[in-house]
Amino acid sequence: MNFTWKIGGEAGFGIMTTGLVFSKIASRSGFHIFDYVEYPSLIRGGHNAYEVHVADFEVTHLKPIVDILICLNKETFEKHSSNLNKDSFVIYDKKEFKLEGDYKKIDVPFKKILAELKGQGVMKNTIALGASLAIIGGEINELLKIITEQFEKKGEEIISFNKKFAEAGFNYAKSNYKKFLTNWLTKKNPKGSLVMTGNDAFSLGSIIADCRLYCAYPMTPSSSVLSTLAAWQDKTGMVVRHAEDEISVINTALGSSFAGARSAVGTSGGGFALMVESISLAGITETPIVIFIAQRPGPATGMPTWTEQGDLLFAVHAGHGEFPKIVLAPGDVKEMIELTTKAFNLADIYQTPVIILSDMLLSESHRSLEKKWLDDFVKRYEIDRGKLINNSKFNPAKGGTKLQIKSQNFLRYKITNDGISHRLMAGTPGYFYQANSYEHLEDGHTTEESKERLKQVNKRNKKTITYLTKHFQLPKTYGDINQAEIIFVAWGSIKGSILETQKRLLEKGKKSALIHFNHTYPLDKDKIIPLFKNGKRHILVENNSQGQFGKLLQQETGIEIKEKILNYDGRPIWPEEIVRKI
Amino acid sequence: MSLIQDFTGYPPTWCPGCGNHGIGIALKSALVGLGLNPSTVFAVFGIGCSGNMNDFLNAYAIHALHGRAIPNAIGIKIANHQTKVIAIVGDGDCYGEGGNHFLHACRGNHDITVVVHDNSVYGLTTGQVAPTARKGYKSKSTPAGIIEVPINPLALALTQGATFVAQVFAGNVSQMIEIIKLAIQHRGFSLVNVLQPCVSFNKINNYQYYQKRVYFLANEYQKNNFELAMKKVVEVNKEKFPLGVIYQVEKPTFTDQLPQIKKEVLIEKDRFTDFSSLVKEFT
Repeated sequence: MNFTWKIGGEAGFGIMTTGLVFSKIASRSGFHIFDYVEYPSLIRGGHNAYEVHVADFEVTHLKPIVDILICLNKETFEKHSSNLNKDSFVIYDKKEFKLEGDYKKIDVPFKKILAELKGQGVMKNTIALGASLAIIGGEINELLKIITEQFEKKGEEIISFNKKFAEAGFNYAKSNYKKFLTNWLTKKNPKGSLVMTGNDAFSLGSIIADCRLYCAYPMTPSSSVLSTLAAWQDKTGMVVRHAEDEISVINTALGSSFAGARSAVGTSGGGFALMVESISLAGITETPIVIFIAQRPGPATGMPTWTEQGDLLFAVHAGHGEFPKIVLAPGDVKEMIELTTKAFNLADIYQTPVIILSDMLLSESHRSLEKKWLDDFVKRYEIDRGKLINNSKFNPAKGGTKLQIKSQNFLRYKITNDGISHRLMAGTPGYFYQANSYEHLEDGHTTEESKERLKQVNKRNKKTITYLTKHFQLPKTYGDINQAEIIFVAWGSIKGSILETQKRLLEKGKKSALIHFNHTYPLDKDKIIPLFKNGKRHILVENNSQGQFGKLLQQETGIEIKEKILNYDGRPIWPEEIVRKI
Repeated sequence: MSLIQDFTGYPPTWCPGCGNHGIGIALKSALVGLGLNPSTVFAVFGIGCSGNMNDFLNAYAIHALHGRAIPNAIGIKIANHQTKVIAIVGDGDCYGEGGNHFLHACRGNHDITVVVHDNSVYGLTTGQVAPTARKGYKSKSTPAGIIEVPINPLALALTQGATFVAQVFAGNVSQMIEIIKLAIQHRGFSLVNVLQPCVSFNKINNYQYYQKRVYFLANEYQKNNFELAMKKVVEVNKEKFPLGVIYQVEKPTFTDQLPQIKKEVLIEKDRFTDFSSLVKEFT
């Protein structure tokens, strides 16, 4: 089974909630999902759409044909009819608009049902969702269960009131459109899958990694991390601070990190721009920090609710002066969990900023994630705080180091072979040291001496070499490079679209491979060059206009990928578009 | 018991006669007087002549960015709220570059002490005007005199919710010691605005200028009276400078109101591991 369900309507009428409810019903019925939302930067009055790709195999992106479209208004049909074919179901209310064209039309009297049941306009989506479930053979009980969960706190009366609308839509479609009923969503063996966005995965990942302080200023599309972690803090014990601006955000986190708490911040490009001076502060003071950036199209305010991979080079080069920095770009929700948890370890190990680059597509689209995988991952994951000396919680089994310090003069920036110095838990009795934003001696005091400057610059640079040896991971290859006619090169969230593209190409008899980078910066030249020595056709695919990763790859390795497919209209790149452009 | 020497780092590089020498001594004396030692004090320094105290004072410290010491201090306090956290900053640093952080730290009643070296100029960049300079003050960046009126940091702190607002004069070390001690002991946001001559670049607001215009608040002054405090802090418009604790009230601090760190400080808590209770919402 492989179909797309889509709902559209006016902003403010519960489109997002309804879409997520559908994704959960599909997941609970044993299917894989990938969903995608379109919404303007408005609270009321714009057009919202929510699309869910459902299949009994793993799905990573959308497909071109919408198989069932729910039109809560005329605009939905007008905007999305180009994705319909004659077999597509269209659910609408003929009292609202006349539906022209050859489709499987399902007229549901939304207005009449609302009037009869004395409902508010926002309940139209519940009627429509119920009707759609009837058509695709879904179980109404799954929807009723979710309604119960949603309104649990509001009491039995509200629950049963809402259920009436779901049942009304379901029953109407079931009894009036018998000829159209399908079994697309007939329950399989549910594997206990989770339905998560990239932002959900970052939030959960930060908790798994024992992040104790999250600081942010709301900015689309990163804001749901702030609200999720804030909602969890009573339970998790994390402190979540919504500070006055992004400069305060990152400096709060650097303060708490200096004091020994794993700390993170989250924002989008504009907020990150405000943080940049402090990224440099983290670099020279060697303070661990994890920075989550959910990219959106810029420059400046740009298109706040849309997607782009436009801040890669900005993130890589952020901060004045030279210092090590690690940039990771997860390709999907699972990688977001893996790399977020890894980022906190890397920040502690290398005592430097680690950036997680997401974008609206990854941050706000839900994907299925097998719960068992997550449970196993949590068991496997180990916290590694690197060379932090915490005498009160010293545990050699967990890689902790106990250091005998002879004098008060703790060498916070001691020259070492790997470039990493011991970091004594600030507040440890008997000692003191400073994290100095000026160039400094090994003990932290300010210096402008040539010899000392060289020592410290070399020490910091060495951390990059250590990282490349110990923690850098080569790009993952999807498909067989030896057999492939075409090799796609990509980074971050665009992975899902290319994996779908590969399937389409294979249907046409074309073999392809994908080299996908999620350890985006720094890059190990010596290890990467051999991957590209095959004389094959490489195509760079990115969601930006300048091929930023291509530039980075060339800068770091000398490899130039001449053929590029770039998309920068604020939408994710569609597999069909890639197929067409090849 | 600690001694002044325990807190003493490198010899200061401030100009001879600079008010910073007195502030440095007062600060160290206050810390000793409170029974603290370099391991129990967290200090965050801004950038400027004031911030250069980083090398002269022993403590767990961050020598921060210009303007950003306050959020660093807030972060330290949240992570380890049982320690004393002091931000040592300048007027351009705290009221100019970092003005926004100053306002919001007052609002949050964050339990940190902010000691502002207020000398009306940017000393380290050789004498440009600071936001506290009087209108018309001529400097390298304002040769025709500054157009803006000065900021009123004490009034700002009061109106934005600071629970301890004090002013001292760098020429009076013994009062500085007492007031800094009170500020550090205060639970909540405490501001100590230090009127400080810059002997190299400010030829107007020198020791004589201040000596003629400062006065001590009377013993019977009611420091918990907001309206009275408001009257005091606008005396600066008449070039009168009250010295002492102008305002002090007890209110819950920011960290007092975080239930998650009621029992244990943030860095000492056990790791949260009940992930399945969070995952439920994604099913």
